[in-house]
Amino acid sequence: MHVNIFPISGFVQDSYNMFEMDGEMEKKKKKKIKKKEKLEGMKKEMDIVSNDSYNELEMRYNTSVTKGMTSTFAQQILERDGPNELKPPKGTPEYVKFARQLAGGLQCLMWVAAVICFIAFGIELSRGNLTCFDDLYLAITLIAVVVVTGCFGYYQEFKSTNIIASFKNLVPQQAVVIRDGKKNQINAYQLVVGDLVEIKGGDRVPADIRIITSQACKVDNSSLTGESEPQTRSPECTHENPLETRNIAFFSTTCLEGTAATGMIINTGDRTIIGRIASLASGVGNEKTPIAIEIEHFVDIIAGLAIFFGFTFFVVAMFIGYAFLEATIFFMAIVVAYVPEGLLATVTVCLSLTAKRLARKNCVVKNLEAVETLGSTSVICSDKTGTLTQNRMTVAHLWFDNHIHAADTTEDQSGQSFDQSSETWRSLARVATLCNRATFRPDQEGIPIPRRLVVGDASETALLKFTELTVGNIMDYRNRFKKVVEVPFNSTNKFQLSVHELEDPLDLRYLLVMKGAPERILERCSTILIKGQELPLDEQWSEAFQTAYMDLGGLGERVLGFCHIYLNEKEFPRGYRFDPDEMNFTTSGLCFAGLISMIDPPRATVPDAVMKCRTAGIRVVMVTGDHPITARAIAANVGIITEGSETVEDIAERKRIPVEQVNKRDARACVISGGQLKDMSSDELDDALRNHPEMVFARTSPQQKLIIVESCQGSIVAVTGDGVNDSPALKKADIGIAMGIAGSDAAKNAADMILLDDNFASIVTGVEQGRLIFDNLKKSIAYTLTKNIPELTPYLIYITVSVPLPLGCITILFIELATDIYPSVSLAYEKAESDIMHLKPRNPRRDRLVNEALAVYSYFQIGAIQSFAGFTDYFTAMAQEGWFPLLCIGLRSQWEDVHLQDLQDSYGQEWVNIKMCDWLGTGFLLPPCLFVCRNRVLVSAIVFQLLLGNLLCYCPGMPNIFNFMPIRVQWWFVPVPYGILIFVYDEIRKLGVRRYPGSKLKFITSLTIFFLSITLSTVHPVSSH
Amino acid sequence: MIEKEEKEEKEENKEEMKQMKEKESCQDLIYNPRTGESHPSLLPVFYGFLAGMFSLTMWVMLQTLDENVPRYQDRVANPGLVIRPHAAEISFNRSDQTNYNQYVQQLHKLLQDYNDSLQERNDLCLVDEYTEQDDKPLKKVCQFKRSTLRQCSGLTDNSFGFAEGKPCIIIKMNRVRTTTEDNPLQMQYFPSEGRLDKMFFPYYGKKAHSDYVQPLVAVKLLLTKDDYDVEQMVECRVEGSHLRNDDDRDKFQGRVSFRVKVSNVEI
Repeated sequence: MHVNIFPISGFVQDSYNMFEMDGEMEKKKKKKIKKKEKLEGMKKEMDIVSNDSYNELEMRYNTSVTKGMTSTFAQQILERDGPNELKPPKGTPEYVKFARQLAGGLQCLMWVAAVICFIAFGIELSRGNLTCFDDLYLAITLIAVVVVTGCFGYYQEFKSTNIIASFKNLVPQQAVVIRDGKKNQINAYQLVVGDLVEIKGGDRVPADIRIITSQACKVDNSSLTGESEPQTRSPECTHENPLETRNIAFFSTTCLEGTAATGMIINTGDRTIIGRIASLASGVGNEKTPIAIEIEHFVDIIAGLAIFFGFTFFVVAMFIGYAFLEATIFFMAIVVAYVPEGLLATVTVCLSLTAKRLARKNCVVKNLEAVETLGSTSVICSDKTGTLTQNRMTVAHLWFDNHIHAADTTEDQSGQSFDQSSETWRSLARVATLCNRATFRPDQEGIPIPRRLVVGDASETALLKFTELTVGNIMDYRNRFKKVVEVPFNSTNKFQLSVHELEDPLDLRYLLVMKGAPERILERCSTILIKGQELPLDEQWSEAFQTAYMDLGGLGERVLGFCHIYLNEKEFPRGYRFDPDEMNFTTSGLCFAGLISMIDPPRATVPDAVMKCRTAGIRVVMVTGDHPITARAIAANVGIITEGSETVEDIAERKRIPVEQVNKRDARACVISGGQLKDMSSDELDDALRNHPEMVFARTSPQQKLIIVESCQGSIVAVTGDGVNDSPALKKADIGIAMGIAGSDAAKNAADMILLDDNFASIVTGVEQGRLIFDNLKKSIAYTLTKNIPELTPYLIYITVSVPLPLGCITILFIELATDIYPSVSLAYEKAESDIMHLKPRNPRRDRLVNEALAVYSYFQIGAIQSFAGFTDYFTAMAQEGWFPLLCIGLRSQWEDVHLQDLQDSYGQEWVNIKMCDWLGTGFLLPPCLFVCRNRVLVSAIVFQLLLGNLLCYCPGMPNIFNFMPIRVQWWFVPVPYGILIFVYDEIRKLGVRRYPGSKLKFITSLTIFFLSITLSTVHPVSSH
Repeated sequence: MIEKEEKEEKEENKEEMKQMKEKESCQDLIYNPRTGESHPSLLPVFYGFLAGMFSLTMWVMLQTLDENVPRYQDRVANPGLVIRPHAAEISFNRSDQTNYNQYVQQLHKLLQDYNDSLQERNDLCLVDEYTEQDDKPLKKVCQFKRSTLRQCSGLTDNSFGFAEGKPCIIIKMNRVRTTTEDNPLQMQYFPSEGRLDKMFFPYYGKKAHSDYVQPLVAVKLLLTKDDYDVEQMVECRVEGSHLRNDDDRDKFQGRVSFRVKVSNVEI
């Protein structure tokens, strides 16, 4: 399946079982078993390392936990293991990549055509015919088209390959290592397994290390796990899973706090966790974009038909009696006539126009083809933090006076505020303000409060901003209540307190304020503040507290309890020595003030965007590293879980039956945690995805994200994410969307699209534009297909009926590559059908870019009409010059005989060397303005086409270069009857289609095509001389 | 895995079928028989209609054309000069009759229409005057007797001088409807001045002027032994008229050039 799946945690083992399904494929299975063994080995190693005693570690790595390794041994290990750095995967050589770009289906055909041209030119040259440079021009043009398109494709690919480079930025340059008992600073890449390293606050961890000694060491694991809070690191082994245990710190994570922790390196370079993520990300094959698949499908059809037609007429020509060389040239000409040379360029330009439009709306598309992918997307796996939410802890609810109050959580403080008149609120606000160590960074007066930078942890920051918004001028407020002592939060107490002098200099009491885990706070309280009154905390109030606590917890919010007490003036007089370690002061019998709960609130635009996705038939699945309750609360908040949807657990609770008895299909919603996921087989996961339309995955690891994405893939999956840990899933997804502001470089590099404003709502724009461009490309291709037939038929008639050649290859190339590109591209500017966002996403297996209906319509109907129009014009022009239609038939050999200088026409006139009259013109009928008003670009495209056509036709000198001759103005109007026919024909079918709106074919066959057809039918006839 | 995919596909197909059924009526309308637009059995009708329309437009177009006067003549305004025998290089061995026989045959074939017996039926016209006869539906043809080409008529010398190494080349001006209009190598012209007389013009087209023969000029190249085995480059131009004879691109407009090489090898 994928060559480079490495485990990060124990989960992987189980999830790997799902790949064991394809029993038939012996080879693959063997490979997998091998890999499984390898993985198992890895896992074991990690486990042992986290459990090992120091002695075992020393034995294993031949090192010392105090003196480190010897330099010489370290050198040996370095030679054995290689340097401690992330190695880029072995890529295909650049020239191979470039060569691949030149060897696509159409390109191969064009190469063959070019070679045939060269051969033909060579033969002509050797026969001494120096006048005929057509074949040479043709060959050169064809090669130029292939090379230019190839360069473009190569450039596109080149831009999006450099993933590993972004991981390199994460890696520290220098590290302090202890070797031979001495501390040294060395380059990080020289570190080896068993080295003893020292890290302190601010350093990046230089490899995966097992902590030996530490003091209050905290690391930021957010890039790896998505946990935004700092994680404590200490020597004890707390969990058997290496990712969860506290005694292992990972390569590239930052040590936030702590002084001089030491650790022993247990993994270096690509064997580290980050190394594995990096290989995972770079190793996951880029899925082919749906539009690439569609275009390949189209190209296959075209190439197949081109060869079929070419070969058929090659045989026919041989049968009729043409020489082998001639028949070969016919083959070439048919290929040139049939292959839409300008198509790839048109598609690229259309896509880049859309990409530009998206960029203006804050979506930067890295991979051009990804522009359309969002339009076909039927599942979006969205990360929670930062994408759906503001990535900012904010106070959401307060509980005081036995009432839950909602705070304003909007980004711009536009929401409703709560009643702040209560005395209790004043007390609560005072506790929240004083019992808080967070401070604003200086010089931020001009910045709105929610956006100011704060020094402190997430919840304190939330409280600081909240109080600043509600109370105001917090720094000054704190200064008025001078802090005497404080006890910081620790995990055993689970509270934080501080003692302050009072604002009133005459009041000599001290005020003790405390906040912490609500149940711990409640334990220490004996009274409760209700409407400013201290009431005894009896059973009834306890119950009220419990209810409120459960309610807020159920919302997925982090709840803190607040209480205070005025210390007895006599017992604690001014100057009393408060000891924070001994806590020689009252810490019980306090007065409970209230609860404040915080959450990372959803962005204001998200619920609407999720709703839009839903109407557009797109399923939004939340995949987050956060806790299930929080995940669910946010999901419900933004509409991923809709109102009234229940999970299996909810139903069980409501019906008071065991979970097992609930019919899973009754539950619309489902929340699956990483722990549950690890025990599920892939079938179970597929079942879950199928049965529950509203899915939330919580506590997931990077691998699990990958597995979820793979399970969804069958339909087109978009993944949003920002962390390093998201990068494999971003890469694996059909379209990876990274956050521009919060996103790590690794995520941005793995993604196909970047949201500059981190706003989920931008995805909706992407979907809309993607769908629009798909529809518009359909129009472009319909236009291209229609054109093919009138380009091809002249050759077929030329070969079979031997009329003088109506339309030469050079002319065809001019039409394909010069005059027709702009009109094709202008179709990309077509406006969206109003209901574009109310349709379901297209089914990639059924709704093809080119389907039978479209081909039949373009080829056999409109194309046929145009061909007839072309021949009408051709025969008219010939007849008016003196060559009646019947005479033309079979005239070819005499017409092309260079030595025949007195060929008689229908009037008995004798013509000299008619070869010189390979007349061509590209003329156009001015399309009635009526039809083009809907799209201004199309008008300019037509004007452009006219001008260019006229330039080619009438510019003096053109006859000498390309044998183009000016055509008569009258001949432009000959095909008008056929134009009218196309119009009528199209109107009739539209009448039918109108009765069934919603049919996608409606706009393809609309007026646009009609009038473009008129243009075309005039192009060919005129050029067909 | 494959099994799984297949399963999925089957389910997918089922779903598709369902949806297809729902949509059937709508799709029918677009591409199905009952609407009659693109059902295969109606394609012949459609093409039949197109072919009919094509024939009709062709017929209408042909009706607009004058059967005597081409609508446009700008591309043949400058008639070309053509030589007989028809070859870019006339190379032969005078001693070997089979060697030049093909050239002689060509000349005989061309001059058939100029046989005196045929030409005597045509009228004599006034020399140096255009024979204008716009008002008559059937135009008379001016007499151009083969015998006026004398040594080059093939009447006296059946080999047109090829046998004696002094070959005749006949120069013909391409006829173009309604057109109103002389070298250091020893040459002899027939008729003697090498003139294309005005009386043969204008030409009124194949239909009205059916037996028309255009005037010819024959050139007898008086080659001597010294000229044998040497390629002689000859260029003839129409002069003394408004016709263009200097177009760089078209080497046959109002002029013609050819090469002659005579060898004399006894076999």
